[in-house]
Amino acid sequence: MSTLAREKSRQMRAARAAELARQKRQRKVAYVVGIVVILGLAAAIAVVVGRSLSSDDGGDVTGKVVVPANTEAGAFSVGDADAPVTLDLYYDYMCPACGAFESTNAEDLSRLIDQGTIRVSLHVMAFLDEQSQGAEYSTRAGNAYAAVVDAAPDKVWAFHNALYANQPHEGTEGLSDDQIASIALRAGVPADVAETFTGGVHRGWVAQSTQNAFDSGVTSTPTVKLNGDMFTGDWSTPGELTRAIESAATPGAR
Amino acid sequence: MTAPSVVNRTRRSGASVWVVMVVSSIASLVASFVLAVEAITLAENPSAELGCDINAVLSCGTVASSWQASVFGFPNAFLGLIAEPVVITIAIAALSGVRFKRWFMLAAQLAYTLGLALAYWLFYQAMFNIGALCPWCLLITVATTLVFFEMTRINIRDNNLYLPPRIQQALFSAVQWNLDVLVVIAWLLALVLLVVVKYGNALFS
Repeated sequence: MSTLAREKSRQMRAARAAELARQKRQRKVAYVVGIVVILGLAAAIAVVVGRSLSSDDGGDVTGKVVVPANTEAGAFSVGDADAPVTLDLYYDYMCPACGAFESTNAEDLSRLIDQGTIRVSLHVMAFLDEQSQGAEYSTRAGNAYAAVVDAAPDKVWAFHNALYANQPHEGTEGLSDDQIASIALRAGVPADVAETFTGGVHRGWVAQSTQNAFDSGVTSTPTVKLNGDMFTGDWSTPGELTRAIESAATPGAR
Repeated sequence: MTAPSVVNRTRRSGASVWVVMVVSSIASLVASFVLAVEAITLAENPSAELGCDINAVLSCGTVASSWQASVFGFPNAFLGLIAEPVVITIAIAALSGVRFKRWFMLAAQLAYTLGLALAYWLFYQAMFNIGALCPWCLLITVATTLVFFEMTRINIRDNNLYLPPRIQQALFSAVQWNLDVLVVIAWLLALVLLVVVKYGNALFS
């Protein structure tokens, strides 16, 4: 009887020891797996960070600057040269706020241009290249704009608006050169001009234009100047910019 | 005494878990407050932030003005202002020796899980749909994760989740072995990896 009890207790102790050993093994495996995963993740982070540090794509500021024809002081102007109001617009094709500016105001601006009330000077910028996953959308769109300025100046305003109407989301790769070209074709840009976009001839000029805007004190986009003065009103309210332009155009109103 | 045994002992005593929870939820509260103030400024003057600052590395203020920033019709940050003080209160009460009922802790766990889901949904939206990250939002993501893990740890330890005995036993052992610490570290590293893969060029160039 007592031997039986002893035997039983021995068996129970053995079972318990086996269970503990099994748990210990499981625990070890779990630790090893966990640590391997952690080290793997840490290594992956190090590799990615290292790669983005070494891929110093630098600025194109040192690139060759090919100034497009039809520009004056780095800007292209649309509208009657004798218009009473000049509007300087600083923008980046990737900037969502510039897209919002366009969708609110482009129609009114087109009308005011047609009426001879304003002359719009476009100052292209490309400082949001980091926002297109390495695809440099800002610079490529700016280059396409410059090519149209150079060779098809009467289509610039339509193309400029079409680029914003088809604006990609910030942080995406943006539009490819081919997509930009097809937008240009639909805006009436001749095919032989649209074909030159991929060449990137004016990239250096776009970088220079960006730098010039910085140097002139522009700190964000869109920046709007009316007759040389910073427009501080709220352009996101439909009609507010238009009213400011119209009152500036009315003699004696200022 | 070796370092792991110190960690073990303080973690088992439970105090450190609550301390991490207090610190994390205070961080979340501060971030929520900053974001709420920003949201109000934005509402007062829509063009104030509406612009792409030359110096903004991570975003153009696009996060704050997206519809995702106010899913429920008001800035998400307000939810943080409501919820985080509750977490802070629970954690400090627990530190002072209060023991809550099982159903109370289960309710807290469920509510915080919803909060975590919201935080990660926003993280996903910012990463892949808005295409911009804001530092305060990232802080909330990390702090929410920490609070969630600590709360889960406590609830597993105290058997508050009404789980089937076998699952409860397995999770209890995992927590006793501090496996949750490994999971949190791996989790946070995975977040870092996601961010540097997607935004490494913008962050470091």
